[in-house]
This record gives sequence, C-alpha cells and structure tokens, in this order.
Amino acid sequence: MVKLSKPTATMDNQKNNKKKKKTKSSGPKAKSMKVSEPIPKPNPFENIWSRRKFDILGKKRKGEERRIGLARSLGIQKRKQTLLKEYEQSTKSSVFLDNRIGEQGEALPEFDKALLRSQRHRQLKLGKKRKFNLEEEEEEDEDEEDGFGFGGLGGERDDFEDEMLPFDEEESAILKQLHGPKTQDPMDSGLIEGEENRHKTKKEVMEEIISKSKFFKAQKAKEKEENERLMEDLDKNFTSLVQSEALLSLTEPGKMNALKALVNKSIPNERKNDNSSSTQKIENLNQDQPDSYDKLVKEMALEMRARPSDRTKTPEEIAQEERERLEHLEEERQKRMLAPEDASDEDNDDSDKPSTKGLRSISGDALVDSFSLEEEPRTKKGWVDEILERSNENNSDSEADDSSGDSETAEDDSDEEGSDEDDDEGENKLSLKDWEQSDDDHIGTDLEDDEEEGEEEEDDANEKEMGSRDQKKAKKSDSVEITNKDGDSLHAKKTKADGKSVSTRPDLPYLIEAPKSLEELCALLDNRSNTEVILIISRIRASNAIKLAAENRKKMQVFYGVLLQYFAILANKNPLNFELLNLLVKPLMEMSVEIPYFAAICARQRILRTRTQFCEIIKDPEISSWPSSKTLFLLRLWSMIFPCSDFRHVVMTPAILLMCEYLMRCPIVSGRDSAIGSFLCSMLLSVTRQSQKFCPEAILFLQTLLMAATDKKPVSCQDSQFNHLTELKALRPLLCIRNCVDEISPLNFIMIMDMPEDSPFFSSDNFRASVLLTMIETLQGYVNIYEGFSSFPEMFLPISMLLLEVAQQENLPHVLQDKFKNVAQLIKTKVDEHHKLRRPLLMRKQKPVPIKMLNPKFEENFVKGRDYDPDRERAEKRKLQKQVKREAKGAARELRKDTFFLLEVKEKERALREKERAEKYGKALAFLQEQEHGIKSGQLGKGRKRGR
Amino acid sequence: MARAYAVKGKKRKNKEEWHGGEPDAKRAITEKTSDGEEEGKEVVNELEGIPVAPSEQNNTKKGRLIFILEKASLEVAKVGKSYQLLNSDDHAYFLKKNNRNPSDYRPDIVHQALLMILDSQLNKSGMVQAMYVKTEKGVLFEVKPHARLPRTFKHFCGLMLQLLLKLSITAAGKREKLLRVIKNPVSRYLPVNSRKIGLSFSSKKLVNINNYVGSAGTNDVDLVFVVGAMAHGKIDREDADDFISISGYPLSAAYCIGKITNAFETKYNIL
Repeated sequence: MVKLSKPTATMDNQKNNKKKKKTKSSGPKAKSMKVSEPIPKPNPFENIWSRRKFDILGKKRKGEERRIGLARSLGIQKRKQTLLKEYEQSTKSSVFLDNRIGEQGEALPEFDKALLRSQRHRQLKLGKKRKFNLEEEEEEDEDEEDGFGFGGLGGERDDFEDEMLPFDEEESAILKQLHGPKTQDPMDSGLIEGEENRHKTKKEVMEEIISKSKFFKAQKAKEKEENERLMEDLDKNFTSLVQSEALLSLTEPGKMNALKALVNKSIPNERKNDNSSSTQKIENLNQDQPDSYDKLVKEMALEMRARPSDRTKTPEEIAQEERERLEHLEEERQKRMLAPEDASDEDNDDSDKPSTKGLRSISGDALVDSFSLEEEPRTKKGWVDEILERSNENNSDSEADDSSGDSETAEDDSDEEGSDEDDDEGENKLSLKDWEQSDDDHIGTDLEDDEEEGEEEEDDANEKEMGSRDQKKAKKSDSVEITNKDGDSLHAKKTKADGKSVSTRPDLPYLIEAPKSLEELCALLDNRSNTEVILIISRIRASNAIKLAAENRKKMQVFYGVLLQYFAILANKNPLNFELLNLLVKPLMEMSVEIPYFAAICARQRILRTRTQFCEIIKDPEISSWPSSKTLFLLRLWSMIFPCSDFRHVVMTPAILLMCEYLMRCPIVSGRDSAIGSFLCSMLLSVTRQSQKFCPEAILFLQTLLMAATDKKPVSCQDSQFNHLTELKALRPLLCIRNCVDEISPLNFIMIMDMPEDSPFFSSDNFRASVLLTMIETLQGYVNIYEGFSSFPEMFLPISMLLLEVAQQENLPHVLQDKFKNVAQLIKTKVDEHHKLRRPLLMRKQKPVPIKMLNPKFEENFVKGRDYDPDRERAEKRKLQKQVKREAKGAARELRKDTFFLLEVKEKERALREKERAEKYGKALAFLQEQEHGIKSGQLGKGRKRGR
Repeated sequence: MARAYAVKGKKRKNKEEWHGGEPDAKRAITEKTSDGEEEGKEVVNELEGIPVAPSEQNNTKKGRLIFILEKASLEVAKVGKSYQLLNSDDHAYFLKKNNRNPSDYRPDIVHQALLMILDSQLNKSGMVQAMYVKTEKGVLFEVKPHARLPRTFKHFCGLMLQLLLKLSITAAGKREKLLRVIKNPVSRYLPVNSRKIGLSFSSKKLVNINNYVGSAGTNDVDLVFVVGAMAHGKIDREDADDFISISGYPLSAAYCIGKITNAFETKYNIL
C-alpha cells in the first residue's frame, strides 16, 4: 500500500503545480471560473484514476474507484467555502449577518424565499391587534416596500418581532401547507385509523376475556370428570389387588380380612350404584367406606417399622465376641463339671477326681505353678498328672509293641537328634533350670538373640527329656499314616488309646491361657488327637487375640515361639506325624501374619543357628551334613509363610542362601543324600519360581546327580566349567541303574527321611529310577524358569549333553529315557532360540548429527493487517498508537494543504495588486508619454507657442 | 497448527543480551588487536594437538548445492473475503470465473519439491546451501535449508500465503528469517564460482545424473540446479551454464530433485 500511495502523492504534487500554473495563467478570471466549474466543464484532472502496481486476482477494485483529481478539487472547493471566507473576514472589524427569513436554509431557491417573506408579513398583520385596522392597505404597501425595498431594515424588524412573537412553528406549518398539502392527509388519516384500532382492541380484549373464562370453566369441569374417572379406576385396581395373592402374602391375615370385607362391600355397592340411582344409598356407602378405610390406615400406621441391620463389625469386635462366646462356654463347662461332682464322675474318670478334688495333693509340680488363673491350673495340673500316669501306664504297652521295626526308628532318632544334641547335651540341666526364669523375662522383653538361643537349646533339651515318653505316646495316641506298617494290633490299640483319651477327657477348656513354655504346651497337647490339638491352638488364639488387649501381643509372641518349637520337635520325631504338621502350618501362618516382625526374627535366628551348626558339622567328614527333617520342614514352612517373590527378604534370602549352601557343600555320599538334595532342589525351584532368581548351586547339583547316573567316571571336565567351583568329592555312580526297572514309583520323601543311611533300599534300582525321575522333573522346572535368561545356553548346554549321555544307557527304563530326551530336546530348542536372538558385538557407532531444523512461525488463517500478538492489551495499544499516528499525519497533511491554499490565495491577491499597479503605472506612463509626445511633437507647446 | 507466539519478554531479553553482547565482543576484538599477535600465537600453540573439527566436515564447505525452483505457481488471490493461495482443487470455479486455467495453479508441486530437498540426507548433512523459488508472477523468495516446512499441504498454503503477504517468515521462537522475499534477479545471490545447470525434458543433452555429478561437481565449484516447478511448460535457458535432461521420460519436479540429491549422496557417501 505504501508503494501504491507514493505515486499518487507525487501525482498530487504534479497536479498542484499544474493547477498553480493554471490559476496563475488564468488570472483574475479564475475565481469566477471555479465557482461554476463542476457544472459546465469537467476538469480534465478530475478524470485521473489511481493506478495499482500489482494485479491481485479477485480483489475488488476499490482503490480505482477513487478519483484523486476529483477529490482534490472537492477539497479546494471546501476550503474556498470555509478557509477563504475566514481569511477574508480576518481583516474586517465587523460581520454582516443575514438573518432574513429563508436565509438560514440555503437550499431554498430565491423565489421561495421571497414567498416566505411575504406570507410572514401577512400573518404578522393578521395577528396584530391594533386599534385601528384602517390603514391596512397603506401598511401593506409599506411592508411590501420593507420586505423588498429595504432588505436590511426589514430584516431587523423581523428580528425584533421574532423575539416578541416566535412564529417558527407557524412558519413550519405554513411551509408544510405550501409544500406538502398532499402528504398531510395520509398522515392524518393514519392517525384516525390508529384510534379506531385502539377501540376495536378494547372490545376484542373484553371478548377475549369472556371467552377465556368460559374456556377455563370448561377445562375445570373436564378435569373434575377426569379425576372422578381416575378415582374409579383406582378403586377397581385396588379391589383386584386385594383379591390377588400378592397382597395376601404381604399383609397380616386380620387386616386381610378387613380388606376383603371392604372390597366385598364396595363391589356390590358399586353394582348397586350402577343399577339404582337412588341418592340415599350412595350416601350410606359414602359413610361406610371411610370407616373401614380409616381403620385400615390406622392399622397400617401401627405396623412395625423395618429395622436397620447391624453394621459390619470391626475385627476387634469380632475377636471380642469370639472371646466372650468362649468365656460363656467355659463357664457352662465349669458348671457342668462342678454340678455332677457329687453324683457321677467316678464312673468315667480316674484322673478327673484328683484334678478336681485333690488340689493341694497334686500341685507339687513346679512347672506349672506360675499360672495365674484360678480354675485352669487345676485342670492343667490334672492333665499333667494324667499324662504322667498314662505314660507309665502306656509304657508297658509300648514296650510290648515295640517290635524290630520300631527299634530301628528309635535308633535312627537318636542318630538324627544326636547331631542336634551333641552340643547341647552338656548344658541340658543348667539350661533347664535357667529356662524357668528366663521365660518370665522373656515375656516382658522383646525376644532377643540370647534368649532365643537359650530357648532353642531348652527346646532341644526338652525334646531329649521328653523324647522317649513323647514319641511313644505320639505313636499311640495319634494316627500316623506313614508308619502304617506297624501292624493291625498296634492300630487297634491305638484306637483303643484314642477312645480312652476321649473318654478320659470329656471336654477341653474353652478359655486357655497362652502357654509360655514348651513344657506347658506339651502338657496341653500331649495325647491329644490332631483335631483336638488344632482346636486347642485355635482356642488359645481366640482367647488371647491380639486385638483384645495390648499385653496379648506379648503373650502371642511367646506362644508363637513355643508353637514353632513344637513344630520343630514334631518334625524331628521319627515316625512323623505328618498330618499334624500339615495342620499346624495354618495357625502358624496366620499368627505370623499377625506378628510379622516377631515371626521374621524367629525365623532368622533359627536360620542363623542352623547355619552355624551346619558349619561345625561339615568339618567332620564322617557325619552326614545334610539337613535334618526338622530343618527341611522349617524351611518349607518359611517358604510358605514369607513371600518368595521379593527380590530381597529378611527371611527368605538367608533361607535360600542356606539351601544353596547345603547343596553346594554337602558331599553326596549315599543315595539318601541324593534324595535329600533333590528335595532341596525342588524346594528351591518352588521358592525361586516367582522371583526367577538364579541358583547355580541347584543346577550344579542336578548336574552332579546326572553325572552320578552315568556309568563311566566323570571325564567331562572339559565341558563343565562349573566343576572348579564345587567341592565335588569322588563321585561314585550312585544313581547308575544296573538292571531293568519295571515301574517307577514316586519317591515318598518322608519315608526316605525315616530310613537309615545304609538301608538297602537306597542301593536298589527302583530308588535310583525314582530319584532320577524327580531330578529330571525338577530340571525341567528349572529349564522353564530360566528360559528367559540370556545366559541360558551356557547354563544348560552341558546338562543337555549329560542328559543325552544318560539316556543312552541301556538299563534306563523307557519312560525315563523319553523324559530325558524330551528335556534335552527342550533345552536344545530353547538354546537355539537364544542363539538366534543373539547379536554379534558391535562397535558403538556414532550417528551423524543432522543440521538443526527450525519451525517457521505462521498463522493458520493469516489476515493481512491483523496483529497476531497474543497479548491483547499490547495489540490494542499498538493499534491505537497507529491510529494516533495516522490521524496526526492526516492533520499535518490537511494543515499543509491549508497553508498551500492560503498561499495560493495570497499569491493571487498579490498578483492582482501587482497587475492593478502595473496598469495604473502603465496608464500614468502612457499619459506622461502622451504628454511628452505632445510636447515633443509640438502640439501642446506649438499651439501655445503658436498661440503665443 | 498451534504456532505459539514466542513470549515477547523472552525475546526482549534475548535482544538485550544481544545488545549487551555486542559491545563486549567489540571490546574483545579491540583488545585482541591491541594486545598484539603474541597472545594469538600462544592460543594456537595450546590448541595444536586438538583437532578443531573432524576432517570429514572440511569438505562440506565446498561443493554445496543450490536449488532454484522456477515458475512456481504460487499466487495469492482474494477469494471471497479472505486471501488464499490459489490451487486447482479448491479454486477451480473461481479460476474459471476469472478466465484462468485451473490446471496451471499447482502449488503442490513446489511443496513436494521443497520437501524433497529438505528431507534429503544431503540437506541433513548440511550440503544444501540455499533454495530459491521464483513464482510465475516473478516474486523471488529464499528458503533456508534448515527450515522445517509444514508437511501438510494446507499448512504449506498458509505459510506461503503469509510469506507472500508479509514478505518474510521468522522461525518460531527466534528472530531468524527462514523464508523471505528478495529482490530479483536470482543471480545476485549465487556465489561467484558457481555453475548453473538447468534441467528440462526438452533439452537435447541427455545425461546420466550420477556420472554427470561425478564429473561436474569438482570441489571448488558450487552447483546450482534450476528445476521447473510448474505443471506445463519449461524453464528459460538463457542464463544457465548447462542445460541438461536426466531422463528420457518427463519427470516430476520432486523426483528429479530426488535423483539429484541421490546422486550427490552417493558421491559424498552420505549414509
């Protein structure tokens, strides 16, 4: 646009110059010319159009409509009317104001002005109330003379009269009459019409109101009818509802009758209504109906409200309730025990009598005198005595029953426990004494290492002390499925014993204080059946729930420790009470959830101790350093209690490490060792399945087992890169199958644990086959777990080779062979997969750096001239500033043009003056010259001269 | 596309920094000159062992490319109330009404060609020196090789419209002008030692571009390729040093540019 405007500006200048020249040339005539310029002859400069440089398609040629020349001449004309006049006035001292009638509006032609004046004059005359109206004609003449002859005077007079009588309105009316008499008529008629319209609307409004009221009345009537109809419908529905079964089931029978009566009444009534139109009957009905209905309503109001149900109870409340229930039951039991005391108790129990009656006589037992409850000690003491008695009693039986098989197990026991007891043997008695005192402290303080240690020792000591007695009792009283071989006679006796125990102890106490020592617990649990043991434990837990009281936590902690000890002892017993162990797991797990911190400490301490023991045992090559069944069971228990999936866990990490150490360091001497090892491996597998931890020890162990299964000497030193890590002893081909095996039975691990080390079973091919089976299954599990590891091929390739080697043996049963081959195949496929995925190592390549690209900034819909500043205020300000600048420029331009114009005018005047002066001068000069000429030619002078 | 306005305050700050930085630099220069050459020598000695830039980068200084797109049909018109870049799809009726041939209005050719240049590995490696576009109407504008043009045609149209109306486009968040309208003729912007090669199907000289580039592109000459970005017609060959055709078939502008850039990529071994 700037570019566009520039040429026009130059054009302007040029034109100005031209104009100046023209005006100069035209001289005095110019003024008169310009006044009449637009009409007679078009200025050729006004035909100049603005020209644009670029042709933009579709743009309206708005700029080209502007005629710059025309605009200029218009501007000059305007200046002539305003600025020029002001300039002319500027030298004058007074102003001539023309206030004659009609002079204000310039649009009126001269003739109309005159007409206006004359009319005004006449009206003035008419309006004048003079005393003497006689001189009308004269004045008329005078006025006429005034109006036309002496314009200035007449004007003044008019002015004066204007002040007196403002007839402007009249004037306008006159004007109207003059110019538009026709236009007035329609206006007036329109007004009249409007008035008529108003009248009509009033009438209409009245009519409308009336019609509306009628309409509303009709509607009301209609509504009423409808309501009645609805009521009838409702009544009908109600009767049908009453007759239906649904309401019957919901309401009481008495009310139902009333309802039915009501309905029965109403139905015939309605019929009557239909038939007879007598008004009285209807009234009767109306009187009857509300009565029965009201009755019903009242009855309904009196009905019982629904009760809100009890809110859900908090665990504390539940525990409290449980405790209360047990308390209540206990009370009842006590009553039952006391009530028939006189009548009949002797026929049942031998043992109850001393416990209930002879309090003092029996309570010599020092173990239980720390009990605080009044009632319970009695019973417990009773039990203890009873136990003692029964042990004596049963001893004879057990001795009789102890056959050759049992003697073996007894030996076994002593062997196994010997490992545990060897160290503790010396401290036995001391610790036993300490125990009583330390236990009390133990309740008060949080369990610490020393105490735990002590406890453990005591536990072992106890074990020893009660060893013979307990084991035999256990054999009798508890059903041991594993040792079913014992024979029918034993079984029969067992059942007898069970029956006896049941008969001797008719009921358990409902409220049991948590035992603070193993002794107490054993006293409680001995000679109980499995279910009873669990019941007792659950009752102990219920009556000492942690949520009930703060001190219960400590009690439960102690109880947990004791229970764990009990579990350990139970696990170490030779004929394993496997069922009871299984049952014990549940309460132990639940309790360790309740007291997780304590449970973790217990487990850690035990693990620590087991490890130290193991370290000592391993020094002695003659003793088998493989873990005892107790350790195994505990490890299994912990793996169930604590989460195995944690990356690092307070208990599980050391447990796993311990297991791995066993696998790593224990020499495989016998078949039993291999069985235990493979059990450990499978346990590790189950533990590491979730966390996918890598246990090289387990895999290495499996590998050594495989090597043991091969016939030849282990010469595969070149491919086993782990071998230098292991403490491999000279490995006999323990698992090499010599003869054909018909069937492979799964290993009964508990049975194996019970067996002595040198039993012939371990050297049988059956055993070997089953060990190999378990081993291959475990291996498969490991293969499945570790398939994601990138080092999978390195881990399992040697094993797969070994597997194939073993599978080639001719004595191996087909099932095993297939399994071996399958696993080898599995390993091979997975190794292949891994090999496929592996990429060769590459040098880190530097990527070329591309040049930095920049985004252009542009608007979606760009509109020229719009400010795309996000700051609205600033944009607005800028816009205003722009406007101010533009206006200022415009004003400057106007001023410049004004001065130009004035200069021009002055120039003209000057030129005029100059011209006049020149003319005058010329005239004078001509006159003088003439005179001179005359003188010289002698006309003047000659004549005179002649005349003279 | 949300092209956020850069916050002015930040800009101003940059500006201040710039203004602040200038005298410092000047001072530094003056100091350097006043201190004499000893210091400069020392610096050189210190830095002797360290290569300033990898040797590969050195050859990029020379033998860079310049592309000129001739006869680009970028024309702004007032359609309805708004200004728009004319294209044959959207404004067919408008063009017919104004007695124009709609098939001549093909800004998409320029778009494709520019994208082809800007996306090439040659450009990414910094071997494209500049791009110039001359429209059918004779407006010449420069496109910086580090401008990331909009990928969509609609946005490209918006960008071109703003460029033709505002005469320059700055980078978002910077003051640098990525596109700007410049004065004709284009020859005043080409480097002194440059060789201008026009490409046209009509040329009698049919060459294999790979061989041609291998022989023509010696390192001390900047090559200027003139490619037509119009639908019909050919570029004028007056001021071109060489006038070649690179295929027996008439090629599109984008593909032609693709061939050229490919040839140079193979020549400079840009992967």
